[in-house]
This record gives sequence, structure tokens and C-alpha cells, in this order.
Amino acid sequence: MLEVREVTKSFGGFRALSSVSLQVEPGRFHALVGPNGAGKTTLFNVVVGRLKPDRGTVYFRGQPISGLPTPRIVRLGIGIAFQRAQAFLSMTPLENVALAVLSLRRGTGGFRALLSDRVAVERARALLSWVGLTGAADRPAGELPLGDLKRLDIAMALAGDPALLLLDEPLAGLSRAERRQMVTFIEKLLRRLGLTLLFTEHDTDAVLRLADRITVLHQGEVLAEGEPEEVKRDARVVEAFLGGGDA
Amino acid sequence: MRAIPLALLILLALLLAPLGLSRYATEILTQGFILALFASAFNLVFHALGLLSFGHAAFFGAGAYTAALLAARAGWPYLATLPLAVLASATLALVLGFFSVRTSRIYFTMLTLAFAQLVWAVVHKWYGFTGGDNGITGLEVGVLADPRWLYYLALSLLGVGLGLLWLVERAPLGYALRATRDNEARAEAIGLSPFWLRLTGFVLSGAIAGAAGFLQAAWQRSAFPDFLYWTKSAEAIIAAILGGSGHLLGPGLGALAFIELGAFVQARTEYWPMVLGLVLLFLVLFLPRGLAGLLGGRGARG
Repeated sequence: MLEVREVTKSFGGFRALSSVSLQVEPGRFHALVGPNGAGKTTLFNVVVGRLKPDRGTVYFRGQPISGLPTPRIVRLGIGIAFQRAQAFLSMTPLENVALAVLSLRRGTGGFRALLSDRVAVERARALLSWVGLTGAADRPAGELPLGDLKRLDIAMALAGDPALLLLDEPLAGLSRAERRQMVTFIEKLLRRLGLTLLFTEHDTDAVLRLADRITVLHQGEVLAEGEPEEVKRDARVVEAFLGGGDA
Repeated sequence: MRAIPLALLILLALLLAPLGLSRYATEILTQGFILALFASAFNLVFHALGLLSFGHAAFFGAGAYTAALLAARAGWPYLATLPLAVLASATLALVLGFFSVRTSRIYFTMLTLAFAQLVWAVVHKWYGFTGGDNGITGLEVGVLADPRWLYYLALSLLGVGLGLLWLVERAPLGYALRATRDNEARAEAIGLSPFWLRLTGFVLSGAIAGAAGFLQAAWQRSAFPDFLYWTKSAEAIIAAILGGSGHLLGPGLGALAFIELGAFVQARTEYWPMVLGLVLLFLVLFLPRGLAGLLGGRGARG
């Protein structure tokens, strides 16, 4: 589904990623973990087209995508949700998602009012109901609590029926109770949709529960990769995390 | 729903006004409509895109000079120059926008200001073509020489301009424009291209500003480099702030207030800039949503 092949990225003299490779298999939930500064966010940004790798290539369904602008990449079937939940705060959640649906399905041309496009609005309501935001659909998005914004972010990421979903720290900033909810939500929804998931996360329990496969990054290199049980027992990983702070 | 009979009443009053008003009062109202159209065009970039353009005078002036040159030098009937005036402004907006909309915030403001002043300098010095600082005077404007005809044309073009902006505001395009302002990263992540959207909004705004310039040249039966000077851009900014940029009708209301209040105060004292300063101060402090804030209704428009 997604293949990162020997990607290297430096900022000035700092090597954020050195020759990182990983493969995300269809239908799998693939976690990207590592201490702060390990290169997770850099790799995320390379995959979504916000950074261009110095060397190496990213392939999506066999097609090279590194170097393409973000709007082109998402149109190929990759949904993106951000670490700091991002939404259009001057609009309602319904408008946010309906715009995403229209943009990804047929473009934003024409003079018909967004909210009178029945197909887009119905699709947007369905997505909002999946993520449990039906009650808040018509409130200004700027008034939503963080947990709801994260759900809205995910609803927008799903608007184009992506084959691959990228989530950057879906649990960051949430309370313990919200985290549990979010994990259950991701598991149920994405498995039901048959999506492939690549996500980064600090919360070890959540990673072990959600991930089918884990790649551990440390100082810009792949330290270990495998099934959750193997990775958990890997001595180098244990050392890196005990020495390297939070997991 | 009470708003609809009131709106109809205002529209009727606007349609009948020239029949009861003096020539001078009709002309001043017309001037108000022209600035209202210009300020509403400016506000598409200011509010929906969240970019402060200090260069909109260039598009206003391009519309005025295109109409004036075609009428004075090529003998076109004045009314027939409107499509080309709009096209010329849109083209200029395309060129200036291509470079400007890549930048943001203060850089965008400074770049648009610099481009517009450059255009002004060319028009100001090119005596052989634009008449330099003498401008182009004594235009034959046909029926528009009658203040009433010009009044109705200005009112109609203002109506068309506002109608177009209203359609855009509700259409997916309007949402997409505001999306690039609200959150660029999110906009890209739903497949929108901020650069092209900003350019589209900028060109549309420039085109409507050109129609306002076309009217201005008819109103003065002349075109002057002043039309392109940065103070003309500032008038649009003042009108938008005065009237409230968050409402479709805000900049238009601000423009009318600016022109009518200006005419009223200038007839009585020479301290108009001071009065304007005090009014702006009052509005910023006590009515941050501008005159349109008094209309109530739509609160936080997107």
C-alpha cells in the first residue's frame, strides 16, 4: 500500500531521517513510535508531501509520490489527520466536512450553495455520525472541545474515501477517558471501513492495542520493526526508551 | 423575516431617490455606490482570503483608464467599454496576484502596495499615452452625463457585484477561499490548492474593482492618476472597517457612510480628516463589527 524506501532528510547539519525504509501492508494498522526527536513527524511530513526528501522515495500503490504537492497526494486516496487537530474554525462541522467531500469528489466549481448540495451534505452528515459528532454538526467549529475537533479532523480525513489513513498522534492532548474512547473509536471505525492505517503515537498502551505492526524510530533511524510482541521484547527498544525518555 | 419588507422598502427608496433629490445629492449618492462597489470587491480579498491588499487602487484605476482611453482615443461609446475595463482589471490582477498571493500577511500588503505604486508611477509619467498627471479629461459619456442615468447604472452594477459576491460566499468556492484563510494545512489536506484559490479570489476582486473604476471615470468624466494612488486603496480599507468586513453589506454601508458623512462635514468645516479619525476610533472601540454589527443577524460569518 505504502512504501518508504531509504528516505533521508536533513535540516542544516541535523540528520532527521537517515535511510529510513518501511512498508505498510494493505488492511494493516501500522504504528510509528519513538522518543521525541526520533523523526516521526519528519517522516509523516515527507509522506504527506509537506517536506521533500533529500534522498529516497515514497511509493503509494506502486506510484512514486514524494515531491508531489499535498493536494495531489490526498487526491490519490490518502486521508490525513493532524496532531494538533486542524479544522476551519469559522465554519460549522457540517460545512467543514461537506467542503472536504465536495473538494475531493468533484472539485469546488459551480455557484450552487454548498449547503444545498444534497449529496455532499448527506455524505457529510453520515461521516459526522460515524465519528459521533451529529449533535454538534451545526455549531461553530471554533466552540468545539479538543476531543470533538480531533473527531472532526478524522471525519475530514475520511471524506474522500481514502484507502490509507495517516494519523499523527491521534491521542495527543486528550484526557485519559477521551483516550480510551478514541482508541475504541479508531479500532471499530477503521476496521469496519477496511482501511489501512499509518499512525504515530506516544501512548504505549494504545499502540500495543491498535497496531498490527510497529516501526521504532530512534535518532532518525529504524531501530526495530515487527509484530507488537516481538518489538516489545526487543532489548534495543527497551534500552532506547528507558534511556530516551517517554514512549 | 421582518428584514425582508424593510429591505424592499430601502430598495424602493433607492430607486425613487433621484426623482426627489437635487442634482448634487444624486451625484454624492452615486459616488457612495461607486466606493461601495470598490470596497465590496476589496473585501473579498480582505475578509474571505484574510489578506490585506494595499494595491486595489491599481485595479480601480485600470478599469477607469481602460474606459477613458477607449472612449477618448478610440472613439468607443463609453458604455461599450465596460467589458474591456473589467477584463483589463482582471488581467492586471492576474499578473500582480501571481506574484503577491504567494506571500502572506505584511509581505502581501507591502508587495501589493509596491506593485500598485509602480503602476501609478507609469500612468503618472507617461504623458504620450495616459496624459500623465493631467489625466484624460472631457470624456464623452453619452447618457451617463445625466446624473440620474449614472445613478441607476451605479446602483445596478453595485447590485450585480453584491449579488455575485453573495453567490460566491455561499458556493463551495467561497468556503474554499475561507478555508485557505482559516487553516492552510487543512485546506491542502482536503485537496484544495491555496495558491490557485487565492489567485482566483484576487482576480475576481480585481475585476469588480475595475467596474467601480469604470463608473468613477464616468462620474468625473475624466481619469486621473489619483485613481491609482495608494490613498484610493486606503478608502476601501476604511470603508470595510467602518462598515464591518464580516458582513456582505458591511463595506458598502461603510462606503456610503464615508462618502455621505464626508460631504456633510466638508460642507461645514475643514476638519474632515479629524472627524473621520474620531469616528473610526469610536467604531474600533465600541463597534468592532462595524456598522453592519448593528444589523445583527448573522453573527460570526465564515
